[in-house]
Amino acid sequence: GDNRATSKASSDLVAYKNVNDVPPARDLMIQIDQKNEAVLLPIYGSMVPFHVSTIRTVSSQQDTNRTCYIRIIFNVPGSAFNPHDSNSLKHQGATYLKEVSFRSKDPRHISEVVQLIKTLRRHVMARESERAERAT
Amino acid sequence: MTDGLQFNNIFLGGRGGTNPGHLKISSGGILWKKQGGGKAVEVDRADIVGVTWMKVPRTNQLSVLIKGGPWYKFTGFRDQDLSTLTNFFQSHGITPEEKQLSVSGRNWGEVDLNGNMLTFLVGSKQAFEVSLADVSQTQMQGKNDVILEFHVDDTTGANEKDSLMELSFHIPNNNTQYIGDENRP
Repeated sequence: GDNRATSKASSDLVAYKNVNDVPPARDLMIQIDQKNEAVLLPIYGSMVPFHVSTIRTVSSQQDTNRTCYIRIIFNVPGSAFNPHDSNSLKHQGATYLKEVSFRSKDPRHISEVVQLIKTLRRHVMARESERAERAT
Repeated sequence: MTDGLQFNNIFLGGRGGTNPGHLKISSGGILWKKQGGGKAVEVDRADIVGVTWMKVPRTNQLSVLIKGGPWYKFTGFRDQDLSTLTNFFQSHGITPEEKQLSVSGRNWGEVDLNGNMLTFLVGSKQAFEVSLADVSQTQMQGKNDVILEFHVDDTTGANEKDSLMELSFHIPNNNTQYIGDENRP
């Protein structure tokens, strides 16, 4: 790989380098790892990390039974705010995970998760665009 | 050496989360019993099609593929258990394969279908696996998106706090893995 920070596109961001860097699954619930800029999703008993830069939007909804739903939409090429660029051409032939939704009985936890993802995402995006600007 | 290996504190993973239990592997097959009773999984040697190893955060996972059926995933093996188990399986004519876990956090890769397991691979490493047996509905959205809706899991074994309801994949036009739709789940 290339380590030139200035040429690092957001799609080059990596959540973890080693398997053992991933925090242990305490409870099987959505977790945010601020330090590694990762969102960990419980899928079939495992915590699956996604770098926050892969996330486009996050939203939540609550029904009458206090059941909460959280929906995470990821960046995919060709969508309105993410047109085909050098990155999508680089990953030609790839399949993208586009969306996941989870159900939860804990509305407080879900609204906290939504806020944390939004804040973390804003931070990372601001840093990356600043970095890109400095590079030009 | 007695016929068989036993391990305590082995977690059986699945749709609703994980449960700890006791695992016994013998020449007859595999038996896992949930701690405190309840659920048990019994697999006959003749039904085992293959086994794979994977390093997961701080521990190891053994996957067992059953003829025409599901995968069982057991987690909680120490590094030193690997060689013991590998030798045991090999002496019974099964060669464990090694898989690698992707932790890069990327959302692009490829989808691999094997039996009723759907694996999302990132850079040829496994990011996650789901069972199509738990999918209640699949839908196409537009020309490029496939949505998988999962059953609501109400079993008593479910212990996860947040439950997966839906997944969707985006397959760009330039994807050459799926020509036509007959291979889609």
